[in-house]
Amino acid sequence: MSDDLAVRTHDLWKTYPQEPEPVQAVRGVTLDVRRGEFVAMAGPSGSGKTTLLNLLGGLTRATRGRVEVAGRDLTTLGDRDLAALRLTSIGFVFQAYNLLPVLSALENAEFTLLLRGVPAAERRRRVVALFAEMGLAGLESRLPGKLSGGQQQRVAVARAVVGEPALVLADEPTANLDSAASAALLDVMERLNRERGTTFVFATHDPRVMERAHRLIRLVDGTIESDVRPAAPGVAAHASP
Amino acid sequence: MTGARASDRRAAPRRAPRLWLFCQLAVRNVRRNARRSALTASAMVLGLAGLMWTRAISDGAHESWVTGAVRLGTGHVAVEAPGFAKSGSLADRLSPAQLADAEAALRAPGVAPLVRASAPQLSLSGLASSATAAVPVRIAGVDPAAEAAFSALAGRPVSGTFLAPDNPLGAYVGIGLAHRLGLGVGARFVVTAQAAGGDITGQLVRVAGTFRSGVPDVDDGLVFIQIATARTWLGTPGAATTLAVLLRSSRATGRVVEALRADLPAGVAVLPWQEAAPGLASAVRIDDWSGYAFLVILLAIVALAILNAVLMSVLNRSREFGVLQALGLTRRETGLVVFTEGLLLTTASGLVGIVIGWGATWLFWRHGLDLSALMGSDITFSGALVSPVIVPEFRAVQVLLCLAATLTIGIAASIYPARQAARIDVAEAMKFDR
Repeated sequence: MSDDLAVRTHDLWKTYPQEPEPVQAVRGVTLDVRRGEFVAMAGPSGSGKTTLLNLLGGLTRATRGRVEVAGRDLTTLGDRDLAALRLTSIGFVFQAYNLLPVLSALENAEFTLLLRGVPAAERRRRVVALFAEMGLAGLESRLPGKLSGGQQQRVAVARAVVGEPALVLADEPTANLDSAASAALLDVMERLNRERGTTFVFATHDPRVMERAHRLIRLVDGTIESDVRPAAPGVAAHASP
Repeated sequence: MTGARASDRRAAPRRAPRLWLFCQLAVRNVRRNARRSALTASAMVLGLAGLMWTRAISDGAHESWVTGAVRLGTGHVAVEAPGFAKSGSLADRLSPAQLADAEAALRAPGVAPLVRASAPQLSLSGLASSATAAVPVRIAGVDPAAEAAFSALAGRPVSGTFLAPDNPLGAYVGIGLAHRLGLGVGARFVVTAQAAGGDITGQLVRVAGTFRSGVPDVDDGLVFIQIATARTWLGTPGAATTLAVLLRSSRATGRVVEALRADLPAGVAVLPWQEAAPGLASAVRIDDWSGYAFLVILLAIVALAILNAVLMSVLNRSREFGVLQALGLTRRETGLVVFTEGLLLTTASGLVGIVIGWGATWLFWRHGLDLSALMGSDITFSGALVSPVIVPEFRAVQVLLCLAATLTIGIAASIYPARQAARIDVAEAMKFDR
C-alpha cells in the first residue's frame, strides 16, 4: 500500500446471514482513498454506504476481501489490535453525535487522547486550540445536553480529528442538523481538510455534502456505480482502481 | 498527515489512565441517573444493613443461650478427670493437687483476663429422701462464694437464700423437687449416695432456699450443698469432680481450652461447653446455618435486583458502548467500564448499608432487644435458661462477612451485564441512529 493512501479496499464483500436469503450489503468493492481527500459516498437507502463505512472503520468484519488503513490490513487484526488501530488511525463522526453524556465537551473531545496516554496539559492545549478553530471556544465545560445539535456535532468532529488520524469516517453527519448548522459543520470539516490535510469519507444522503465533496462515489446495491471528482474541473471522471 | 502523532502512539500502551478513566465514567454514570441508582442502591443498603443487624442479633442470642446453659452446668470450660463426663462417678475425680494445678492454670497471664469466674464442684448422682418421698437427684457440692459468682441459679431464690458459708448443712433445692419431697425452707431431708470408699452413705441437710430455673430437669432434680460438707460426707477431702470455668465470652472457649490442655498434665481432661452440652452446640450450629441460608437467599434476591438494574442500563446504552469501542476501547475494556460501574454502585451502597446496620446494632446494644412481651420473662431453650432480652454482639467477623457479601454481590451482579456490554456488535448498536 502506497504511503499516499489513507485507505484501500480490494474485492470487499460483506454478507449478512439472513432468512430466507443472505443479504449481500457490499459486493466486491475495490477503492483507494488518498490522504487529504474529501470523499462523499452517496446512494439510496440499502445501497451499502454505512456497511462500507463500518468496514473501513473496522467496526464490522468483511466476509471476503481486504481493507487497509494506514498500511494495515484490518481483516487480519485481532480485537485488541483493531481497537488500537481505531484509536490511533481512525476518527468517527456519527449521525446522532454520540457524545458521551457524562463528559463535558472538552472531555469528550480529548477522550481519544486520554486513551492514548497523552498528558493532561497537552490534551487540554490541543483541544482548546481546536475548539477555537471550530467556533467552540467557551463551551469546553458544557455537558452535551447543554449544547445545540450543531455544537454537539462539531464537538464530535473535534473528537474525531484531535488525534490527527489517517482517516475520518462520517456517517450522515448533517442528517440531524438544520441548513445553517450543516453549512457551518461542513465549513469546519472542509477547513480541517484543507488546512490540516485530514482525510474525510462521508456516507450521506445530503446534497449539500455531495456538492462540497471533492470526490463523489455513488453506491447501488453494494457496488460502486460511479466515482467522480466534481470539484476538480478538467479532471475526467474515473472509476476507482 | 500520517495518522496519530508519534508521541501519542508511544503513550498508547499506558493502561493506568484508562482504569482511572473507567472509574470516573463509573462515578458519573451512577450520578447521571440518580433516581435509578438510588433505587438500586436502596436494595443493597437494606440487604447489608439487615445482614449486619441480624448477624449481630443472632450472635447475641447464641451468646445468651450458651451463657444461660453453661451457668446451669459446668461452665464454658470444664476441667475434670478423664472419664467423669461419661461415668458421672465419684471414682473419676480430680485430686486436690490436680484441682490446685487447674486453678493455678486459670491464673496464667494468657488465660486469667478471659475468665469471669471459676467454681469447684463435687457432683454425683444420689437419692433425696424426706418423710413423704424419695427422689433420684443430682447432688452438687459447691463453694458458696465461688458458685454465687458462677451459677445463674444462686441469684434466683424462690424462697429462702442461696448457700451461706456459716450454714454447713444448708441445701439449695429446685422448686419442683421441694414440692415432690414436701419441703419448705428450714425443712430437713437426707441425701444418699455412694461414697469414695464404695459404701452407700447419707447426709442430713436442711433447706436453706429453693430456686426455679425454668428447666424441668434442673428444678425437679438438683440439690446444691456445700462442697466442704460433701467432701467430708463422701470421704474425698480437697477433691472435686469438676472445676467449672465461666468465661467473659464463649468465643474465648477454644483459646482457653487450648491453653489449659497445654498447661495441665495428661491425667486431667479439659472439655469445652460444646462437648459438655452437645445438644446446645448443635442447636446453635443449626440456627447459625439456617440464618446464613436465609441471608444467602435474601442477598441473592438483592443481587438479582441489582443485576436487573445494571443490565437494563446496559441494554439502554448499547449505542454508548458502541461509541466507546469505535473510539478505541477493546471489548474487554468496554465490559470493564460496566463492571466498574456495577461494582462501584454495589460497594458504595454496601458500605452505607454496613454503617446503617452498625448504627442499628449499636442502638439495640445499648438497651437490648426485649422479647419479653412476646415470650414471657424467662425462656428455656435446649436445656438452657435464656434471657428474653437479646443484646447484639459486635464482632469484626461480622464486618468482614458484610464486606465479603458486598464484594460478592457486586461482582456477581456486574459480571453478566459487563459481558453483555463487551459482546455488543458495534455496527448493530449504531443502527439505532436510523
